[in-house]
Amino acid sequence: MSRKINNLIFVWFIMLLTTMMTIMPLPEFFYGIRIEWVALAVIFFSIMNVSLMGVIAASSIGLLLDLLQGGLLGENALILSVISYLSYRFRFQIRVYPDWQIMVVTLFLLSFGNLISLWIRGFSGQVLFVTEEWFSIIIAALIWPIFMRMLQTLQNYFVEE
Amino acid sequence: MAINPGQRINRYEKNYSSYRLIFVIIVSSILMYQDTQDGYSKTLRTYLSVFAYPITYVANLPKNTFQGLSLRLSERASIINENKKLKEENILLKSQLQEVYKLDAENKRLYELLGSYPDRQRNFLFADIIATSPSPDKRQITINKGSIDGVNIGDAIADPYGIIGHVIRDQVFSSEILLIADLEHAIPIEITSTGERAIAYGTGDMNRLEIRSLPPNSKAKKGNAVITSGLGGRYPEGFPVGEISRVERIEGENLLAIELSPFANLEVINEIWVIQTEVSGDE
Repeated sequence: MSRKINNLIFVWFIMLLTTMMTIMPLPEFFYGIRIEWVALAVIFFSIMNVSLMGVIAASSIGLLLDLLQGGLLGENALILSVISYLSYRFRFQIRVYPDWQIMVVTLFLLSFGNLISLWIRGFSGQVLFVTEEWFSIIIAALIWPIFMRMLQTLQNYFVEE
Repeated sequence: MAINPGQRINRYEKNYSSYRLIFVIIVSSILMYQDTQDGYSKTLRTYLSVFAYPITYVANLPKNTFQGLSLRLSERASIINENKKLKEENILLKSQLQEVYKLDAENKRLYELLGSYPDRQRNFLFADIIATSPSPDKRQITINKGSIDGVNIGDAIADPYGIIGHVIRDQVFSSEILLIADLEHAIPIEITSTGERAIAYGTGDMNRLEIRSLPPNSKAKKGNAVITSGLGGRYPEGFPVGEISRVERIEGENLLAIELSPFANLEVINEIWVIQTEVSGDE
């Protein structure tokens, strides 16, 4: 198998896996908590391995997420492409940060994504401030270091340079 | 974070990501606009959702298997108990049904006297829930019956206790349902004791609907049952919706603030059916 196809299979497998994790229903206990695994994966690939994930790929996975979640078609596509672009643009700075600073950057990126989502919902006529969303973002940022290490390990195994 | 030594950094490399971002923003804005305006994206969504179905199915597999397992592992005694309870309930319902036959016949006779009897054929299609919307501000569920089973956009959905919502998107193998508690949902209703007709709006809260159009001289009281009025043609007439939980008269306002708690438990929905109404001509 050629190098390119191998890497492509790897990245899309991870993206599908994170998509499923995002829409997977959680037990009643976690009601309202929804961790944006897809956004985390997009940030990871945009920072650490630019050749695998670009703006267009991020937006198409966002489109899939919109279909699955039954929201406005294009909302997640827009958010994920902006997140991908920002983390791609500042990848050189972000890469050299220690883990906890990358965590803060993730928190900012996810919050910005949620802000865009709030704007879009405001335009389409319904705004409901949900506290759980912001909790989810904080939890996602706290999970980030573990998530990053796991993806790095997987990447070292499966991605051919 | 160490930079991968194999990866060379070329700062002068031509980079199109900004143009791509602008392109994506424009395309997704058009898509979103189309979606709010009920444009062609509805058809696009129907076709694309065929690909989304397997992902939804797999993502909901852990929850469904868990439920199936717990059902299978529940003890024999409790199953026997449940069986007994169901039998009793069945007998009770059957005895009530006998009365319904009588009422039905009487109703028909009266309608014939009036000279107008709408011959309605209601079709009940049993369905299961395969997914609930993960976002708390979108009160939607997905069921396992789609256009291939004859589900159409606008069909009303009920559970054993009352109306829960209607179909907003029919995918091929599944369909999406907007619950009556959603912020963007409104249902035409009738208060049984007074006969007043109004519209109940969703609030985003699963246990609360609002009626905002009744005047202060309305006789609506707490505890009154509310049924669908059938106006507008989307929901069939006479299905239970909920009961009034609060009536408040605000000083200086010329409308009453009425709250409604739905009969159906929208947070834990198990079995549902799709109500398909066919009006077969004027006989």
